[in-house]
Amino acid sequence: MKILDIALKDMTRSFRSMFAVIFMFGIPLLMTGMFYFMFGDIASGGEFNLPRTKVIVANLDKGGPKFQVNTKNIPGGAKANTMGELVVNVLQSERVTELVDLTLAPDAETARAAVDGQRAQVALIIPPDFSKQFADVDGHAVIEFYQDPTLTIGPGVIRAFLNRFMDGMAGVKIAVNVFLDEAEARDQALAGVVVQRYLDISLAQTENIETKLLDTRAPQKKEKSAEEEKQNILARIVTPIMGGMMIFYAFFTGTSTAQSILKEEEERTLPRLFTTPTSQATILSGKLLAVFLTVLVQVVTLLIISPIIFGIRWGEFLSVAVAAIGIICGASSFGIFVNSMLKNTKQSGVIFGGVLTVTGMLGMISVFAAGSSGGGQLGETVSLIVPQGWAVRGILLAVNHAPISESFLNMFALLVWSAIFFVIGVWRFNRRYA
Amino acid sequence: MTTNHAIQVQNLQKTFGETQAVQGVSFEVQEGEIFSLLGPNGAGKTTTISMLCCLLRPDEGDALIMGHSIRHEAMGVKSVLGVVPQEIALYEDLTARENLDFWGKMYGLRGAALKTRVAEVLDIIGLSDRANERVGQYSGGMKRRVNIGVALLHKPKVIYMDEPTVGIDPQSRRNILDSVVALKQQGMTVLYTTHYMEEAQELSDHIAIMDHGKLIAGGTHAELVRIVGQMDRITLTVNVEAEKVVDAWRRVEGVKQVAADNGVITVLAEDSNRALPRLFDSANAHGARIASIDIQVPNLESVFLHLTGRALRD
Repeated sequence: MKILDIALKDMTRSFRSMFAVIFMFGIPLLMTGMFYFMFGDIASGGEFNLPRTKVIVANLDKGGPKFQVNTKNIPGGAKANTMGELVVNVLQSERVTELVDLTLAPDAETARAAVDGQRAQVALIIPPDFSKQFADVDGHAVIEFYQDPTLTIGPGVIRAFLNRFMDGMAGVKIAVNVFLDEAEARDQALAGVVVQRYLDISLAQTENIETKLLDTRAPQKKEKSAEEEKQNILARIVTPIMGGMMIFYAFFTGTSTAQSILKEEEERTLPRLFTTPTSQATILSGKLLAVFLTVLVQVVTLLIISPIIFGIRWGEFLSVAVAAIGIICGASSFGIFVNSMLKNTKQSGVIFGGVLTVTGMLGMISVFAAGSSGGGQLGETVSLIVPQGWAVRGILLAVNHAPISESFLNMFALLVWSAIFFVIGVWRFNRRYA
Repeated sequence: MTTNHAIQVQNLQKTFGETQAVQGVSFEVQEGEIFSLLGPNGAGKTTTISMLCCLLRPDEGDALIMGHSIRHEAMGVKSVLGVVPQEIALYEDLTARENLDFWGKMYGLRGAALKTRVAEVLDIIGLSDRANERVGQYSGGMKRRVNIGVALLHKPKVIYMDEPTVGIDPQSRRNILDSVVALKQQGMTVLYTTHYMEEAQELSDHIAIMDHGKLIAGGTHAELVRIVGQMDRITLTVNVEAEKVVDAWRRVEGVKQVAADNGVITVLAEDSNRALPRLFDSANAHGARIASIDIQVPNLESVFLHLTGRALRD
């Protein structure tokens, strides 16, 4: 009973401290809130606002044999007399104008000069024999792609767009070649039919080229539930950040609350406690329970509040509970361990500024490196050298709906950390007050 | 050891590194009396008290508190003991009532008994009307009162008060001294440590004088004063450095002891009327002028000076 009395007294003191409350709840929510609003624009409407790419086209194509294809499915295709015009018309189509700001140049030099002068980001130079080469089954129809080397996304979109279009067209040539190689002389009459059908199919696919390239816009979904989509994207961005902040400040709280042992020693209330008929074990247990319960209140409160504020989805209840137990045990025992190493509270500046920050940031590497391909794995491995890393891993496992066995395994690892910290910390404190 | 002794101390010793803080201290305190440990700072009073309330384990010796050994029955000792530490040991972010409530629980009080006792103690220390204010907002004197109140919660048989009047205003000091007398009237045994001679003189039934970790004298006030006989205590200041005349005055006829502390010279003399003209002559001979004189009848200060050759330092 006295253990609980001591714990409740310590918790009362902790929660009466405005400083402690701000660091327990205010700062983690505030930090996450900053990220929430930072990424709010990206997620608004569920779309990314890619800037339009300035493309300048020098269409030098002089045409060739009559272009005998059904161009009704190609945007602007009906007006095209040459393959060059077909390419230009596709790039000028209504759907593509959101991505491409197209102008025409009279010659190749002007087009290249526009890129060199940074008036355009991409120059397309369609050669004079483009249609002729395209019509020749053995010819190579090539468009010169001249881009600003400092840019990647805009030119990349244009390149992908053209590649897809040209791939479709090249398929026609391959089909004709194969047919001519295999067909008997009497079947030559069928060649026109085959080519026509292949082109129809191929160009019909080409018609969908914008849609395929612009999948990220998901216009159908936008019509369904834009707000829901926005929340999903934000939640995916903010959830690991909130998890990381919660863990960082849970360890801060664990260390700060465990400091009450040293603080009471300096305030002389701890020696006075030792003059009451209360055993040393009871006094220390009460104080350690206070650390555990304070971190418990903090973690549970943040786990409940953050979904309400930020729409975070922590995952299955059991996985989250397992992760929370790991965080609470890890943060409490880490705090006890760290404080057992200190002589007095004057040394706490080093601990809060150094040890907690360094280990906390190491533990959160996996949160911030998650987006990078190689760095994510390396980051996670590095983060596991500190208990915060295991705590972060636990919450990410829950968020990513990993099998519960993995969550339990992670919790077990964190409990091993906790046990080591706890035993060393309690041993040192017992020895100190013996 | 007889049963009407509240405290029996035998040969307590404690060493910290090279320093022998307490060297074989022995004394006895009768039930219901006020017993003062008097001595300058660093005399070993707090170390002795710390051993008696089981905060420090003695290297040698033992003590019985209401029959409980400090070596073998720490919980028994703590349950009959109330401790008022030298520093204010309270939770400043809790109210006075919350403080008393918490400390009461630590002494094993619960429920209605605790509530009643907290109200009684608040009444005793005169803070009932401000019980719900945080201790951090109290004046130094009010904090001292709560500090004492905590030690009274479980109605202890013995109460230790370790220099409870250090650093407080005269009015609060008066209140504390009155409360110590009141505790005695309620039948409590009080072990009081101080380096203020006049406090020990006013309060105590018995006094033990400590210096350098040893008890150098003990008894009632009258018994201790008899040690110095009927010598007068003369306190003087001179217009030059005190050291210039101290050696010369030690050789003056009728002077038994001379000590200087912070420019103030204390002289023990058999007859101040005869000694003073000689002290004036000696001062003149050394080019000094006596600036002030105060003559007192023998007291504990005189005793300490007589026993140690030094003044009790404030």
